[in-house]
Amino acid sequence: MRDHERIEERIAVRALGGLDVVDAEALIAEMAAHGPSCEECRRLETEYDEVAGRLAFALDPEPVPEWMEDHVVSLATGSGEPLRVMSPRDQRRARRGPGGVRLRPLVAMAASIVLFVGGLAIGSIVTGGDRNEIPADARVVAFQGEPGSGTLSAAYTPGEPGVYVLGADLPTPPEGQVYEIWMIEGETPTPGPCVSPEADGSLVAYVDAELGATDVMAVTVEPGTCSTAPTTTPIFVAELTTA
Amino acid sequence: MAEALLLDTTHSSLPWGIPVAVDLADARDRELVERIARGEEEAFRGLFGRYAPTALALARRVSRQSSLAEEIVQEAFLAVWRNPAGFDRERGSVKAWLMGMVHHRAVDAVRREESQRRRAEESRRSDPVVILDHADQVVEAVGAPQEREAVRGALDELPKEQRQVIELMYFDGLSQSKIAERLGLPLGTVKSRTLLGMRRLRSAMAGLER
Repeated sequence: MRDHERIEERIAVRALGGLDVVDAEALIAEMAAHGPSCEECRRLETEYDEVAGRLAFALDPEPVPEWMEDHVVSLATGSGEPLRVMSPRDQRRARRGPGGVRLRPLVAMAASIVLFVGGLAIGSIVTGGDRNEIPADARVVAFQGEPGSGTLSAAYTPGEPGVYVLGADLPTPPEGQVYEIWMIEGETPTPGPCVSPEADGSLVAYVDAELGATDVMAVTVEPGTCSTAPTTTPIFVAELTTA
Repeated sequence: MAEALLLDTTHSSLPWGIPVAVDLADARDRELVERIARGEEEAFRGLFGRYAPTALALARRVSRQSSLAEEIVQEAFLAVWRNPAGFDRERGSVKAWLMGMVHHRAVDAVRREESQRRRAEESRRSDPVVILDHADQVVEAVGAPQEREAVRGALDELPKEQRQVIELMYFDGLSQSKIAERLGLPLGTVKSRTLLGMRRLRSAMAGLER
């Protein structure tokens, strides 16, 4: 009979979003020790995530702006522009205009792109501009991952914020789980988007991040609700330098 | 038909004597997610109309910024559209899954922006910690009033000190160490109060169907 007291304590805090990095790492280690088949661990996660999710309903619902439903639907169906708080990075990107690579055709081309890494100029592949574009002078760096786990690359422009992540031949995450992308500066992981590859294993994602002198990007497998700190060992790692 | 069933179903054994019919509501939610997986826009609109008001309230409560909250809700619903397979019915209800995504994104956004945190703290100093005494608003969310009353009832049953740490953590997006610092408590005390409170909530909510 394993002792689940400490695991339960940390799972409960994690469900509320309050777990510190140190405890998050400790939880990972403890759950790893129990193994993926620990039914009690899984039960505790499920029950406390359910409790936390339901706490939202203690709040008074807020009227949703009339435009919002149609806007989100148009984004989902591919005919709209994302709503974003205009940060300086967004403003620079909006000003950049045409000249980059559209994401949609890039999805199909990700497999070939990731075969060529290290300062690859991809601007000539596809031209035309909208906000979903990779700059023509982007640097492309390959992630290191386990053999047979597909390929993943990061495309970014030194000195500019934001990183595009391009993947090919990626396996589908286990049911109920997603890939979560992390920016790691020093020892602090900052969560990026949670993503899943397309049916053909391709992936294109944008990470809204300011790059430091050196940043490490990592990808872990996380619960479908995403995590605020990594809960598993990274399956892909890449070092991004801006020098 | 589904609406009629929802309104007719009650569970008299539930705490606080509240008729809750959310079991069928979750069945409908699961059906919506299955239809979203087939690319049905109408199902996506259905889920949005049902939960966007609560999602927006949660995102706004945590982020304390309307435009950011709208972006968070947008991203969460887009995540549902793009990866409906991320929902695992063995791991809980659709509503909890969805609100979990909203909450994670809101907490992440808040922690990224320290200046926003400062604004939140200033705002919080002028507000009581407990934020659940607003008058109900009229919204078109089937089952939401009962659910809200039930969850509030569960929170009301908690000892004050347990409720306080849970609300600071969940609704204000504070980490356990920040709460310890703010309340002048040992970190272990914050952890134990959280666990005890969450156990009580789990027990209380176990009486509710999904």
